[in-house]
Amino acid sequence: MKIIIQRDRLIQGVNDCLRAITSRTTLAILTNIKLSVEKNGLILTGSDSDISIETFIPAEEAGDEIIEIKQTGSICLKASLFSEIIKKLPQDTVELEVKENYLTTIKSGKSEFKINGLNANDYPQLPTVEKDNGYSIPVDLLKTIIKQTVYAVATTETRPILTGVNWVIEDGKLTCAATDSHRLSKKVIPFITKEQKINIIIPGKSLEELSKILIDSAESVEIFFTKNQVLFKSKNIMFYSRLLEGIYPDIERLIPPDTKTTIVLNTKDFLKSIDRASILARENRTNTVLFTSNNEMIEISSFTPEVGNVVEDIQASQFNGENLKISFNARYVIDALRTIDDEETIIRFTGIMRPFVLKGAGDDSITQLILPVRTV
Amino acid sequence: MEAKQRNKARVILHIDMNSFYASVEVAHNPTLKGKPVAIAGNAKERRGVIVTCSYEARAYGVHATMPVWEALKKCPNLILMEPNFDLYREASMNMFEILRQYSDLVEPVSIDEGYLDITDHYGEIGAVEYAKSIQKDILNRLHLPSSIGIAPNKFLAKTASDMKKPMGIFILRKRDVPEVLWHLPASKMHGIGDKTAEKLSSVGVYTIGDLANFDVKILTQLLGVNGTRLKDHANGIDHRVVDPESIYDFKSIGNSTTLPRDITNQQELYTILDRLSEKVASRLEYKELMATKLHITIRYKDRKTYNRGCTLENPLDKSKDISEVARVLFQKNWDGSAVRLLGVTAGEVIERSSASKQLDLFTFSNDEKTVHLEEAISSLKEKYGEGILQKGIKKEANLTENSFSKDFLRQKKE
Repeated sequence: MKIIIQRDRLIQGVNDCLRAITSRTTLAILTNIKLSVEKNGLILTGSDSDISIETFIPAEEAGDEIIEIKQTGSICLKASLFSEIIKKLPQDTVELEVKENYLTTIKSGKSEFKINGLNANDYPQLPTVEKDNGYSIPVDLLKTIIKQTVYAVATTETRPILTGVNWVIEDGKLTCAATDSHRLSKKVIPFITKEQKINIIIPGKSLEELSKILIDSAESVEIFFTKNQVLFKSKNIMFYSRLLEGIYPDIERLIPPDTKTTIVLNTKDFLKSIDRASILARENRTNTVLFTSNNEMIEISSFTPEVGNVVEDIQASQFNGENLKISFNARYVIDALRTIDDEETIIRFTGIMRPFVLKGAGDDSITQLILPVRTV
Repeated sequence: MEAKQRNKARVILHIDMNSFYASVEVAHNPTLKGKPVAIAGNAKERRGVIVTCSYEARAYGVHATMPVWEALKKCPNLILMEPNFDLYREASMNMFEILRQYSDLVEPVSIDEGYLDITDHYGEIGAVEYAKSIQKDILNRLHLPSSIGIAPNKFLAKTASDMKKPMGIFILRKRDVPEVLWHLPASKMHGIGDKTAEKLSSVGVYTIGDLANFDVKILTQLLGVNGTRLKDHANGIDHRVVDPESIYDFKSIGNSTTLPRDITNQQELYTILDRLSEKVASRLEYKELMATKLHITIRYKDRKTYNRGCTLENPLDKSKDISEVARVLFQKNWDGSAVRLLGVTAGEVIERSSASKQLDLFTFSNDEKTVHLEEAISSLKEKYGEGILQKGIKKEANLTENSFSKDFLRQKKE
């Protein structure tokens, strides 16, 4: 293997793969990055066995030569080392050459590194995913639905299944839902569905990494599913993720159908008010804010012993049903309101010990559900 | 009150009951007087060790922490008794009741020791005579011997009460510190354990005098804030006030047990964790507290000890919930080798009445039911009085030896 490559493109490709590489792995070779030079370009691979990322750097792009390929071949190099070396090289181009016994020289200007590589054949095979019958989604939309759901996944491993986001594709829509059992976020978008129903759980961490790696654009990503893998394929990046095994709770049954109180509030005003109250609420363990309605007049307050208290009123634009006094974690409400683009938010309460639901007034695509805090 | 205590030169007493459990047994059964008496736990297992013994037994070389078999070898006619905690608890309460007649500033430290600030009370007869009358009073009324240290602060008072035993009274002034304390090895100072002593000797600090004159910067690097505090103590300086409420500042509740043998079987270890969790839960229940953190302690065969913990999502007080978390912590941190001691500790406990709970999407209906039940109970109580309904919990049932000494002191307030 011997190539001369533009350094910035190599760095970009390596950085993308690094998102999948961790030093804490049971398989030593996975601390490496795999480089494989084919006739039309360089493929870089990084993996932690949960997530695998493959980036492709074409030899030629829009008439510019990005890689001068002198000899095809492949090698595995210690990822942390390789990435640091190429970042610090002096010139705009890098020459990579694999010699005997996987010894690899990295040359740039007058600098020359010789590092020991490993046989690329020892690198594990990436999952095989049939790349036909895929689903297509614009990058922007994909990133939005990830952002609106992934924050609600569980961060503890008590119920491993809740660390993922549930994707269900059927009846012309894609439903994404996440819950850490204290709050739930559900997003529904119209989607071209196929005969077979898809119901999978993608690890939250995978979606976060995917979101970071995709560059905002109107381009589309193709998605392929297998029984235990999902592949997101964009122009030059293939992103594989393991799926979580198990059955996700039935979301529709968790969202209460009945309503005791409905309140419509200005989304921004409500958000700001809760945010202010949370300055003090943060000082108590459950970050609790008290929400008291007196018809349209809503009082937001928080009290932390030995720290202090805060009280403020906001005016609801609509009020229906019984007055109530309910406590909740300010963080959860802030997170939920941030996913709502509408000027106004509708809150449906079903009882002080029961979940309440937040929705944009003119937007049915997103449903936020929050469990209150029980105070004594 | 604190400010007042700080401003004036104080006179602090530290009362230390002499071989308390044994003395209480003798007071309770006068025929034991003058005989070698020892209190020991279960003699069959490894933890069957002497808890305390009378001065007569000490004369034979028997001492606390000695295995029972060894004690019997040294003193074949040793009278061994199983501990009777109810008796000790009662004696202790009586003892503190007497102390409170001499000052309102009484700070119990454990079942058999406490501090008294007598600055505003000793009056014309002087501090020493005042201390003597306290000591006599306890002996006459309860037949229990004690030692008292008199000093301007807690550290010196505690050190002084150790100087003359039994039935001693020792005055330790700040100006006496260089002569009385400085020649002693650092490990003899209160607050310096084996590990600290080891660290100190690594920088050439061997005696209390060395410590008193050592560079405070290096000490801080070595021991953190504790470094400054220990240096102050070595110079006879201690600004802590006598705080009668301090016994109520419970921050953690823990139980640990030395295993009867080294165990590697995971299932057996789980069973022990469950049992410890049950004990912790019943102590929490008893005190109406909830844990917001949970720690476990694992000591291996080679005595290496690890403490590992986590912050709980919701405060817990149920045995089942605690053991579940304890098991997870154990599984995460156990290296698979033989375990000698296990412990479970509920950290940063809060009063149950102030505990709020983040409800869970999958279990909130249970909480809803509990609330309905509680509402029903309180309306019944309103109607028929407090005594109408009581929870089916056997209070104190699970209070264990090592924990009991502090728990019961708080009882009065509850």
